[in-house]
Amino acid sequence: MHAIELEHVTKAFGRTVAVDGLNLEVPKGCVYGFIGPNGSGKTTTLRMIMRILVPDRGDIRVLGAPMDGATADGIGYMPEERGLYSRMKVRDLLRFYGRLKAGRDLRRDVDRWLERLELGTWGGKKIETLSKGMSQKVQFIATVVSRPEIVILDEPFTGLDPVNAEAIKDAILELRDQGTTVVFSTHDMGVAERMCDFIFMIFKGKKVLDGTLSQIQEQYGSDTIRIRCPEGAEALAGLPGIDKVTDFGQMQELRMTSSCDPHDVLTTVVSRTRVQSFEITRPSLHDIFLRIAGPAAREVNRA
Amino acid sequence: MRKALLLAAREYRASVRTKGFIIGLVIAPLFMGGSLIAYFLLKDRVDTKDKAIAIVDRSGIVAAAVVEAAEYRNANEIHDKETGRKTRPAYLVEIIAPQSGDLPAQRLELSDRVRRGTLHAFLDIGPDVLHPGGDPEGSRIAYYAKNAAMDDVRGWLTWPINNHLRKVRLVEAGLDAEAVQELFYWSGVEALGLVSVDEATGDIRDAAKASELQALLIPIVMMMLMFLMVMMSVPGMLHSVMEEKTQKIAEVLLGSISPSEFILGKLLGGIAVSLTTSAVYAIGAAVAVKVTGLGGYVPYHALPWFFSYMVLAIVMMGSIALAMGATCSEAKDAQSLNFPSLIPFLLPMFIYFPVAKEPLSSFAVVTSLIPTFTPLLMLLRLATPEAIPWWQPAAGLVGVLATTALFVWAGGRIFRVAILMQGTPPRLSHIVRWAVKG
Repeated sequence: MHAIELEHVTKAFGRTVAVDGLNLEVPKGCVYGFIGPNGSGKTTTLRMIMRILVPDRGDIRVLGAPMDGATADGIGYMPEERGLYSRMKVRDLLRFYGRLKAGRDLRRDVDRWLERLELGTWGGKKIETLSKGMSQKVQFIATVVSRPEIVILDEPFTGLDPVNAEAIKDAILELRDQGTTVVFSTHDMGVAERMCDFIFMIFKGKKVLDGTLSQIQEQYGSDTIRIRCPEGAEALAGLPGIDKVTDFGQMQELRMTSSCDPHDVLTTVVSRTRVQSFEITRPSLHDIFLRIAGPAAREVNRA
Repeated sequence: MRKALLLAAREYRASVRTKGFIIGLVIAPLFMGGSLIAYFLLKDRVDTKDKAIAIVDRSGIVAAAVVEAAEYRNANEIHDKETGRKTRPAYLVEIIAPQSGDLPAQRLELSDRVRRGTLHAFLDIGPDVLHPGGDPEGSRIAYYAKNAAMDDVRGWLTWPINNHLRKVRLVEAGLDAEAVQELFYWSGVEALGLVSVDEATGDIRDAAKASELQALLIPIVMMMLMFLMVMMSVPGMLHSVMEEKTQKIAEVLLGSISPSEFILGKLLGGIAVSLTTSAVYAIGAAVAVKVTGLGGYVPYHALPWFFSYMVLAIVMMGSIALAMGATCSEAKDAQSLNFPSLIPFLLPMFIYFPVAKEPLSSFAVVTSLIPTFTPLLMLLRLATPEAIPWWQPAAGLVGVLATTALFVWAGGRIFRVAILMQGTPPRLSHIVRWAVKG
């Protein structure tokens, strides 16, 4: 039994089809990453899983059963934009949200999570006095304090500084280790690569990627060269067999055509400049994302 | 239901713990009913500063009688008989000889004295006042003051002047004024309720005196209280939903509770706030009734109707407010929708007076059976001393129940669609479509 199953799920708003015939299976106890450009259907999909939006067509099953009130209590949901009563005190608010889900007072769990995320001294303060990062951590606690079997987080790292982002990341991984299924959406490809057991990409309402990072990269093969040289991108212009050069400043990424021989590339570059490092690798998630949803891909799609 | 109650409890605490609620609890009745109560309490309280009045009597027969009447009044009618405290101003009448030939100049001079404050007013009595008929100007009695139309002195002067003129006319007609004194006796008509039978003893019980307090003030105060209860909870619901939508709290809540539980929780919270407020006012009223001994005036039979109508009115108007709040994306949207969403409930405030004066009229019956008017107007009628046929409040209740069910159903459909929508506020046609099609 999967934690979440979507079968041919479709949702339209007026004439705009936000999610189009989506099939998805999220295994239990994993971290599942949703990626996709803005407006591609991530939030709509998450809202349909939460039953906040009703699909026009298709079935959604959570923990093997159609979603109902009882199933919803087993899911913690953190929306993209944070929703906290600004005039409530932190501890009171967390107890209120916890009681909504769990049906009992979760004072001890609330205190434990406040300590865990270094908010212990803020329990008696009003939400309106917290910084943005602290509010986000409070929202995260509100989502997980009832110990749900599934946690759905829409953009959990947006707006967090590295310290707070690390704290949330550690908490997510700890939840996963305890058996919780975590689904989150993100625009940070690095986070998705590092944290997710499975990655799912939605583009224009349709599934375009789904699998582990290795499985996804496998689809694209080892068509990427990462190279470092003193002259940078200037020395790499017009290389034969190279589709695209992406300049990261200290390092450049080259995408090879299918007929390209990396040895020929290395020979040509060496003839132009001194090569500091040369690595044949699989494309990054970032690169794959751009290949699917970047401006060039959109041009192709339009054509 | 558990989640709805939990949300209602939060709503309730969030409302009653604010300073605004406590202040509103005190201020609102002062604003709403204060002016009415103040009118009844203070209507007999007047400025006791003496008033100097000049009389230019060109007839030569009236001024002395006015002076005599004023002296009698000053001696007998301006002090409380028990305490001796002065309760009204003395009228100090000064007789001014008419200036022959230059009447306008004399009037101007006296007007200037009024402007300077050495006179309160002056009276100009025409030369033909005893036998009016020919030249209206000659029989004219003119009262000049800064605020002549609203001046109590003018009203008082009418009596001694006319009384004296009638006496003089009787004498001229050859009748002895003293002998026909009863001609001037004015018989008033006393207002009484109905004679009834004492159920305990079987004796016939005399009718009680009817008063403005019982006939008008108490019904209006009860209606105002109902108005206050609804106004203290329903606009708050609209703002609270708008806030929860704009601050994205609604989406978090909808991850835990269904839209129906959301709406139910809000409505229950609003009802709890109003019941708290009405309980506070009921305790205050009970104390006031005990202190003032006005218990006999309280229409206890109307109280169950008050609470029934109040709960339904909050649910009825609250459903609309919640739906409207869900359509708002900014505070200014909520401000612009607040009043229109309450109009169906507020309209009776413009027509209540004729209903209170004649609670059994066709107008009163028909308007009080319009469901959104029933909570205010039927209650108003029930609180009057008139016996309202039992079927009318019952029919009103059925109408309110049906309308409440309709409003909850339509409000819920609008709420579900609108709560997650962002951007431009929807047009009325959209809202109607959501209500009809969901």
